[in-house]
Amino acid sequence: MSDETLIAELRARLLEAEETLDAIRHGEVDAVVVGGPSGTRVYTLENADRPYRVLIEKMQEGAVTLSRDGTILYCNERFATLVGHVRENMIGSKADLLLSRSERGVFASLLEQGTSSGTELTLIAASGIRIPVLVSFANVTVAEDTPTVVCAVFTDQTFTRQRSDELTVANARLGQEIEDRRRAEESLFVALDAAGMGNWDFDLTTGIMQRSSRYEEIFGRRDATSQLRIEDAMDYFLAEDRAGVRAAFEAAKKHGHINFEKRIQRKDDGVIRWVHVIGQTYYRDKKAVRIAGVVSDITDRRLMDDQLRHAQKMEALGQLTGGVAHDFNNLLMVIGGSLELLGDRIPHDERTRQHLKAAKLGVSRGQKLNRQLLAFSRHQDLRAEPVSVDERLEAFRLLLDRAIGETISIEIKRSKETWHCLTDPHQLETAILNLAINARDAMPNGGTLTLSTRLQQVDARSHVPTEIKRGDYVVIDVTDTGTGMPQEIIDRVFEPFFTTKGVGHGTGLGLSQVYGFAKQSGGFVSIDSTLGVGTSVRIYLPRTDGQLSMADPLPDGEATASGQGVVLLVEDDEDVRRVTHAMLEELGYTVKGADNAQRALDILRADAAVDLIFSDVIMPGGMNGAQLATSVRVEYPTIPVLLCSGYTAQHLSAELTLGDIRCLRKPYTFAELAEAVAAVIHPDAQ
Amino acid sequence: MNTDGQLDNDAERYKLRLFITGSTPRSARAIENMRHICDENLKGRYDLEVIDVYEDPEATKELQIIATPTLVKILPEPLRRIIGDLSDKERVLAGLNILPLTPGE
Repeated sequence: MSDETLIAELRARLLEAEETLDAIRHGEVDAVVVGGPSGTRVYTLENADRPYRVLIEKMQEGAVTLSRDGTILYCNERFATLVGHVRENMIGSKADLLLSRSERGVFASLLEQGTSSGTELTLIAASGIRIPVLVSFANVTVAEDTPTVVCAVFTDQTFTRQRSDELTVANARLGQEIEDRRRAEESLFVALDAAGMGNWDFDLTTGIMQRSSRYEEIFGRRDATSQLRIEDAMDYFLAEDRAGVRAAFEAAKKHGHINFEKRIQRKDDGVIRWVHVIGQTYYRDKKAVRIAGVVSDITDRRLMDDQLRHAQKMEALGQLTGGVAHDFNNLLMVIGGSLELLGDRIPHDERTRQHLKAAKLGVSRGQKLNRQLLAFSRHQDLRAEPVSVDERLEAFRLLLDRAIGETISIEIKRSKETWHCLTDPHQLETAILNLAINARDAMPNGGTLTLSTRLQQVDARSHVPTEIKRGDYVVIDVTDTGTGMPQEIIDRVFEPFFTTKGVGHGTGLGLSQVYGFAKQSGGFVSIDSTLGVGTSVRIYLPRTDGQLSMADPLPDGEATASGQGVVLLVEDDEDVRRVTHAMLEELGYTVKGADNAQRALDILRADAAVDLIFSDVIMPGGMNGAQLATSVRVEYPTIPVLLCSGYTAQHLSAELTLGDIRCLRKPYTFAELAEAVAAVIHPDAQ
Repeated sequence: MNTDGQLDNDAERYKLRLFITGSTPRSARAIENMRHICDENLKGRYDLEVIDVYEDPEATKELQIIATPTLVKILPEPLRRIIGDLSDKERVLAGLNILPLTPGE
């Protein structure tokens, strides 16, 4: 190094030393570094500490310096605010006065240790409020010859604790809610199960359907796998119903709900059942993600609905036809009566006679048609007369031949004797026809239908219903060689509307008619059936002594104008009254007319010189023909009564029996009227 | 010399050490000024170390620091100390033996 360089270097060092001294002198430095025997120390100037002081004052923790004996040397404003004391008063006081007695020991040992972090303590504020805090200690040696101080930082936990308490409460509430929901779900399952409903939950994102065990039962899937895809679920529906089911699920994604009734085929037994599926769609971000709901087997309900509809239809039809038949009767009455009255007044040339005959034939056909209507509507009264069943068997053969076809042979066993029973031959005919139709349906592949009669005595030892009177009964036995019936069906066959035939194939009224008819005739019905062998139905009708009480009405006899006496005619239909009036006059009677029962009684009270009261049964005005007959019997016991009706069975039966008051069925012919009136006015003449 | 000096400047990286005291305003200013000067004149060819004497008081011994803030140029030699907040740029550049690249400033 040359002298010149050395001088330059020394000059630079001198400049540096001068600059350093200058800077220190002018306060352009923050700290001075001083070497000492125990290492280097940094002495900072006041302004260098200021940021730390500001930090301490502004922070949200309480900062405190303590001497080792627990005297407060310094505390920040925040700590003073926290405990609610004036800062100036706190400095110099003992810190443990801010603690409960029980915690002072802990505090003392923390001071002793000098360091700790995150110890939980509770400060007691001036107001007495307890403040939970977290406290951290640090032992600091400031200078070798001065005692160490303890720096403490207190963090207020009130808010944190509150949050934590709230959290605990919220947690407990949530737990309870979950429990409640679980219970609700459980009871829902119990309710669904009790209602026979299965539930299902179809996840649209995975395509998997969750089901309850009842669901599996409804679909007959006892060996069910847990994973059921919607397509597999679809397979249970009948092929022709699947498109509808798919459409319903597609629509549910849009409309939010699903509700349909479709047919399924149960897996385990292959039986076809109706199910009702109902549910709703759940959305996430406006996208359908789940469709869930319930399913129930509604086959029985649908069956019952169908039966009920069927019954209601029959009832409505019965009402309608009954009403029509009633009015139709009156019309036939007017036409028929007028024709008969005309008969004697028009020229007796052949052509006129033929026209008249044709017209009369028309009336007679109308009459038969009307009877069928009445039989159907069950408004027909039982027109009991002594009937010999055996004598009618041949007529029945014709009827049966027509009804049951060629594959079934008919065997009729006539008994040698002839017995009579009191019954309505038309109803008997219907009953036998009903039995024959049932027999035919029981023998789809042909067989033999046997019709036989016999006499049977019913006494105390006989197995018959208790209300049956002891005595002789004519038994009509209809036996087939068909499929037979199990006991549970036999138990119900007489119930109205019970049928084993498909809907639309039978009314369920056939055997009901047989039963009702037999009962109405004072008899009863019994049935025996063996599966695979055949069925026997027996109608028991009480035996009577033969044709003595009432002869068959003269079918076409000539009425003679030999009547004498006064007839009080009570009839509400003016046309019918006019015709009947004329017919009675034609027969030679003097006629007084009344359009209701009350008017008739008024006439009687004015002049009781009446030989016969001839009254319609059904009349408006509060008193019907039967009631009129009862009144007349009380007030004028000597005046006989003859009733007439086309519509009597139900209305008359409750009032009085027809046993001693004769009832003429509408429409009646001239001859029938003549016979009936004469028979009632002069019973001795018969 | 001029040429040689240029070569020297290009060949050697500057090794600088700045001593400060915590987060005092003067320390903060010194750090800021140092960054500006280095970015403008020594871009890409310097290593700067900032040492807080609070954290590491012993680090002052080696370079005989007696007050802060002080900037020390360790390399290239000769070693130079510049005391203060480095706001006098001329003096700092002179101390670092650097000619300003933008003479106008």
